Amino acid sequence: MFVVLFSITAISALLVGLVNNLTKGVIASTEAANKDMAKLEVLPTFEGEAEFELSTKKIGDFDINVTKVVNKSDNTLVGYAVEAPSITKSGYADRIYLMVGFVEQEGETLIHGVKVLSQKETPGLGANMTKADNALERSIKAEPNPAKMVFKVKKDDASGSFDSLTGSTISSRAYTNAIETAYAGYLWATGRLDTSEEAIEAAPTGATTPAEYSDAAASDTATGATVVEGVEGVADNNESEPEAQKGEISNE
Amino acid sequence: MSKLQIITKGFFKENPTFVLVLGMCPTIGVTSSAINGMGMGVATMAVLIMSNIVISLIKNLIPAKVRIPAFIVVIASFVTIIEMLMKAYVPALYASLGVFIPLIVVNCIILGRAEAFASKNGVLDSALDGVGIGLGFTMSLTVIGAVREVLGSGSIFGFNFMGDVMPLIFILAPGGFLVLGYVMVLFNKIAKR
Repeated sequence: MFVVLFSITAISALLVGLVNNLTKGVIASTEAANKDMAKLEVLPTFEGEAEFELSTKKIGDFDINVTKVVNKSDNTLVGYAVEAPSITKSGYADRIYLMVGFVEQEGETLIHGVKVLSQKETPGLGANMTKADNALERSIKAEPNPAKMVFKVKKDDASGSFDSLTGSTISSRAYTNAIETAYAGYLWATGRLDTSEEAIEAAPTGATTPAEYSDAAASDTATGATVVEGVEGVADNNESEPEAQKGEISNE
Repeated sequence: MSKLQIITKGFFKENPTFVLVLGMCPTIGVTSSAINGMGMGVATMAVLIMSNIVISLIKNLIPAKVRIPAFIVVIASFVTIIEMLMKAYVPALYASLGVFIPLIVVNCIILGRAEAFASKNGVLDSALDGVGIGLGFTMSLTVIGAVREVLGSGSIFGFNFMGDVMPLIFILAPGGFLVLGYVMVLFNKIAKR
């Protein structure tokens, strides 16, 4: 009896291990190929071969992977594809990983596309974030400039730029947070964000927006001010920018 | 019991969802839309057929006292292997069915059929039992999913015809219990005739 049960478990374990070894490489390469596809999907289409230049920012245990995509044929910048998790707000089941495409047009940064890389939200509710033209995507289309976004869902804060998915406020919060994290990663990669660990960590907490933060950080870098002062600067900034908020409300 | 009967009993006489009332957890969990229900049903059917075949092949080797743990080990390793193979070689299929695969390990229909049928019958009969019960399960989940999708989001198989006006509760778990209860009553009333 013991011998039989032991042999069954031993054989099963052996088989699972074998198959795992066999498929590990294939799965990893498929996932890498999918990620490269996703990078191109969130950016405008172009003729020619893409060249990826990857840089990674670590925040705590999380990696923000920023890929600078360059068109090889004429050496022009296509945009930045940022792979970012929702750091401070988990979804209903797990963290949400997004690929966010940033393009630069006439001196402005715009979010061109967003793709959900991984999520474990409820099918029919939070999982709707993977569907085309959902409420979150529409919110981004209405205000594609992340510098003008308020990274909150409207349900929590009327000034927020994001409509939440029906019945899925938690998932929507996490999505919004991942967008904010991606934007912080983009600012970091383009050298517009204070690169100290605390500064980036401070940005996606929801206490401030990276947009306001980057303004504060820009002046702080010059003066060499500490992070704490930076946050205070943000609070001031917030009050002195009523136009930006009006703009969002009229978008509703 | 004829071969055909083994298959058809999964639909009515031994319908896993409405008559045996097995596997309620995935039933409530994934039937928020018709296509999800169908996906879970198809994935379960594939695993059920294979696990029934394997169990019926090794049934004489397993001592009666340890048969349940042995079945569970066989089924769990089996599902894990299928998941890894799918992920590696058919990523498109994995993308649509992948979320259901880990749920199948804990699906008591699989263990139930292994214990009640495959451990007492031949390989062919066990495979057919897997087909029948699997189809019955797929049908039930698709029906529940369709009802919940129509009532909860005003669409069917992802095709929206009502806009955003339907009560959300039918997509959420309480609506799942309500729909399951009513569909079960209706099914048994019709099946009894």
